[in-house]
Amino acid sequence: MSLSTAAPTEIYESGDSALRVVAISGASEQNWRTVHGLAAWLESCGAEGLHGAVPTYDSVLVEFDPVLVSARQMRAFVKLGLLELSHAGAPANAPREFDVPVVYGGEYGPDLEKVAEYQGIPVDEVVRLHTEKTYTVRCLGAPAGSPMMDGPAFPKPVPRLKDPRLSVPAGAVAVAGRQAVIAPAVAPGGWCVIGQTPLSVLNIRREPLVPYKPGDILRFRQIPAQEFGDFVGLELAPLELPSGLELEPQP
Amino acid sequence: MNGDILIQQPGNSVVTDLGRTRGPRFGLPVNGALDQYSARAANILAGNPDNDPLVEITALDFRMKATEDILIAVTGAPLTLTVGGRPASQWEPVSVRAGETVSIRGIHSGLRAYLAIHGSVEADNLLGSAAPDTVVGFGLQLREGTTLRSRTSVGPVRQPYFDLPLFRLGLERPSMGTDLLVDVTDGPDVAEFGESGDLLFTSEYVVSGRSNHIGLRLGGELPERTSNSEVLSRGVPVGAVEVPSREELLVLHRGRGVTAGYPVLAVVTSTGLDVLAQARPGDKVRFRKTTVAEATAAHRRSRAQLETLRESVNTVFGLLGIGCRPQWQDLPVAACS
Repeated sequence: MSLSTAAPTEIYESGDSALRVVAISGASEQNWRTVHGLAAWLESCGAEGLHGAVPTYDSVLVEFDPVLVSARQMRAFVKLGLLELSHAGAPANAPREFDVPVVYGGEYGPDLEKVAEYQGIPVDEVVRLHTEKTYTVRCLGAPAGSPMMDGPAFPKPVPRLKDPRLSVPAGAVAVAGRQAVIAPAVAPGGWCVIGQTPLSVLNIRREPLVPYKPGDILRFRQIPAQEFGDFVGLELAPLELPSGLELEPQP
Repeated sequence: MNGDILIQQPGNSVVTDLGRTRGPRFGLPVNGALDQYSARAANILAGNPDNDPLVEITALDFRMKATEDILIAVTGAPLTLTVGGRPASQWEPVSVRAGETVSIRGIHSGLRAYLAIHGSVEADNLLGSAAPDTVVGFGLQLREGTTLRSRTSVGPVRQPYFDLPLFRLGLERPSMGTDLLVDVTDGPDVAEFGESGDLLFTSEYVVSGRSNHIGLRLGGELPERTSNSEVLSRGVPVGAVEVPSREELLVLHRGRGVTAGYPVLAVVTSTGLDVLAQARPGDKVRFRKTTVAEATAAHRRSRAQLETLRESVNTVFGLLGIGCRPQWQDLPVAACS
């Protein structure tokens, strides 16, 4: 991702071991690029006492060891990084593309009909809108490095479940608010599950544990339920791109 | 010679360390020992590096048998420690002879105990840490019959006088009880709670039984958000105090999901998190406001005490020949040729 100008930011104390940096420009794309550029800069510096940076949409949580570095020192260091970003720009990373086969509805997507009903559109239209979009991974979230993405072009934001499920299976494809996600591991969840991918997303014997990074591109593709088994045991992996083809991340 | 340990009664125990500090950037919580001070102290007392894998025992009784001579240290909540049936001291190195049983019973006034073994124990690693992560299914939960292998050999430590404690290192133990005082600093979203945010400091809260390593749930008077705007998912710090529902206050601990969408009213300090790590259901909690500068200073003071302890331990162990590299006369002949 290249960055011509860094968004203006605010830095908040978040206890004795963390800072929250929020990008406050009106442009969400610029905010996102700024916080991810800052996180990448911080990670690459390997400053003493810095545990790491957790960038999301418009903010980054900077965690550190308060015995080795104080919050004041870390704040100065973050400002240095922001200055560096506005001059040099963030390192450009070509996004990779992932194809995600999904069985929609039925036992694989128990909330599909509910979502269609709430949106006032047919089930097929929910699937069409969900598979039509090209998704940029905005950040890795809880649980287990879930790819957080901007949701499909539904007419309305999707409300969260009133009673969150105690257990959502790995591979669950879910939507909530204006966001979309895949669950890498079994976990409780309050998002509406509209489908499931048979591919395994998380592999704790590999580093990184999930194959995608913020900035990468995902596409969902509908497959019939009887093909689910054909993909079981396969891992989600980036597509091999023909050389010369360039992909632009879409907001 | 490896010191093997056989778990006879696991209670609720895991092998952990100080946590997966590289986890959050990949969406994994830091996890690790909830009471970091006690865990560090146990490893230091056992002559180990602070971050070595050790056993965290939560609430329930625990028993293990040493099949070789080992040296251990037990810290954390008050409890009854016996070695080979004899009472032994907590917060001191304890020598265990081959065949003897180590028994930890009656954890009280706190919730978690830490057992470090000189030379540490072998454990798998995920992103540089042995700490269990229940979400991704990683970690070593101890079961009856689990064998732990010490990573380095330990010579027998002789007690010169029968039944007299071998060490008196006099470390300050954290105070524990049923009335807890927890320091917090203002959270990044404190303004969203308006004046009701002050309730956090004037009310008393009670720890709910639905608390765990992910977060503590506290009943009491709840501050309320004055704004209703949707919050984008953000990285939340360990120690974040949130009000997700109208029933309870939520204080996130080391197993917290890395991102969340609730405003952060306050953040518990590093030393305060150790206090909460020992909170039992039903305990009363009061919050006290402090500044980041004061919290940092308090945390550094407590770590300085552990550094003093480390020097004492090194001196004593050096005199006793514990944890020293083998001398030339101890090496096998082949190694010298």
